[in-house]
Parts: sequence; structure tokens; C-alpha cells
Amino acid sequence: MRALVIDDSRAMRRIVTGILTGFGYEVRDAEHGRAALDVLDEGWLPDLATIDWNMPVMDGLQFVSAVRANPAWRSMTMMMVTSESEHTQIVRALAAGAHEYVIKPFTADAIRDKLALLGLLPQEVSL
Amino acid sequence: MTTTDTGARRRSGDVRPVITDLIDAATVEAIAAEAWVALVGEDEVLVPLPGELPVDIVSSWVDVVGPWTGSVVLTTARSTAEELSRALLRDTAPAVLDDEDVADAFGEIANVVGGNVKAALPGPSALSLPQVGNAPLVRNPADVCRLDLLWRGEPVAISVQGALPPLPGTTPTRKNEVS
Ligand SMILES: [Mg+2]
Repeated sequence: MRALVIDDSRAMRRIVTGILTGFGYEVRDAEHGRAALDVLDEGWLPDLATIDWNMPVMDGLQFVSAVRANPAWRSMTMMMVTSESEHTQIVRALAAGAHEYVIKPFTADAIRDKLALLGLLPQEVSL
Repeated sequence: MTTTDTGARRRSGDVRPVITDLIDAATVEAIAAEAWVALVGEDEVLVPLPGELPVDIVSSWVDVVGPWTGSVVLTTARSTAEELSRALLRDTAPAVLDDEDVADAFGEIANVVGGNVKAALPGPSALSLPQVGNAPLVRNPADVCRLDLLWRGEPVAISVQGALPPLPGTTPTRKNEVS
């Protein structure tokens, strides 16, 4: 399975990438929504995108809306991974089309549980 | 919970709250503790004891703009910020951390602490991207919630501080009593 990790923090990209590669994912990353759209435009369509909210150039909410506007990208599951934890923000992201919401700080177990719910955990990890 | 407003602090049309009306130090400490365990490491604790910050310090912060406007600021020794960044990156840390790596990791800690502090405040509020450098000035000493903590024996200060100067007549200082 493939994942695209989108976060403006290099440290956070390394952490999320480490967790997902541990689950057997092939991972690419992007430093903001615009760079992530470039990856999708290349034709590299992941099963999962983890999306930070606050990023320069294009934020996570704009990215979710852009993905939703393109039917070719409909198969990709979008999981917000962000420190934006106000209830109204969570509702906004889900309304825009995000599938799941993980609040920073998170643990690897929290990510694993969400992926299991989404059916996106490779079998050998879920056992 | 209801509180009795004596009117001593707020008068005629002044509805701008100060941070200590909105959040207490224990809540900020709990948010920071959770961030530390998740980001820095499972066994990493913040001890609520004051320590003396050295001369060579660095701050990271995010701004919150909403019903309350201010910054959530982390300040520590430059060497401690580097150690924090290394802990956060764990086995993915490069052999040599450059300034950008430290700014990025230390800034992300401020982002996580700040985002959760924001969620505990009345909203809706906007959160800025993290910044790293010299901390923003304290504009109103009455609008500050400050924690002095130790991590691995090194001082780390967390300050939730308003961005606005006090409203005229709202601070019980000698200067204002005359006007
Ligand atoms: Mg961010």
C-alpha cells in the first residue's frame, strides 16, 4: 500500500513516515498541499494521504477540497493529522471530504487503530 | 461554572478576556505533558520546577487569533532545543542537526502545544504557522499564563501570553488610578 504524508514540518513528516513504513507502506511526502497535488498529478495515486492542516502555500483543508473536485482521485483515503483540535475545525474537515481525523500529539497505536477501522492496515500488522 | 464579577477588572463595555480567565496553568501543563510523551518520548516528563534559563535561549511559538489573541511560546536553552529536536526525531535524526532541523522540530512542538491550548480556549480562533527566534514581547503582564518546567533537568518555560496591551483603566496600576 502507498501513502502520501503531507506536513510542512520535516520532523513530523519523518515521524509519520516512520510509523507508516513500519506498517509496510511505501511512502512519499510533500511539504504542503500544492506539492502533494503535484505528486498526484504525476500519476502517483496513494491509498492513503495523511494531511496536516496548517501549512504554507496550500493548507490541508484546501488540499482536501482540491482532491474532492477530481473524481480520478476518489479512491484515496484522506486522514487529517493535525494539532487543530477545535470541534468546529474537525467538522469543517470532515464536511470538506476528509475520512478521518487524528489530533496531534498522537501515538503510533492511534494511527494503527484508525487505519484498522479504515481497512487500510496490511494484514500482518493487524494480527 | 459561575463566578461573581466584582467589576474590579472589567468595566463598561470591556469584554476582552485575559488568559487567566480562560485557562489555568494546570491545563497548559497537562497539554504540554501529553505533547512531550507523544512527541519527545514515552518516558519524557516535564517537572514543574523553576530553573534558571541561560543567556543563549531560543523560543518557538504559534499565534492564536480569536476571542483571545496572543501567542503560545516555548523558551529554552539553544542546546536544550537541539536535544529536544534529536529526541523528537529519534532514529531518523541526522548525524548532525542543522539550525533548520532544530527550528523545524522545536517549532512543531510549539504547534502541537499551541493547537491544543487553542482548542481549550473559546473559539473559533485561527492558528498561525510556528515561528522560531526571539519570543514576542509580553504586552500585558496581567494577560500571561506562564509555566516554568524542567526537562531532563534543563529549564523550559511555556508562556501563553496576550498580544494586546491592557485596555485603559483595566489594570490596577498606580499610573492608571490617577486618570
Ligand atoms: Mg503544520
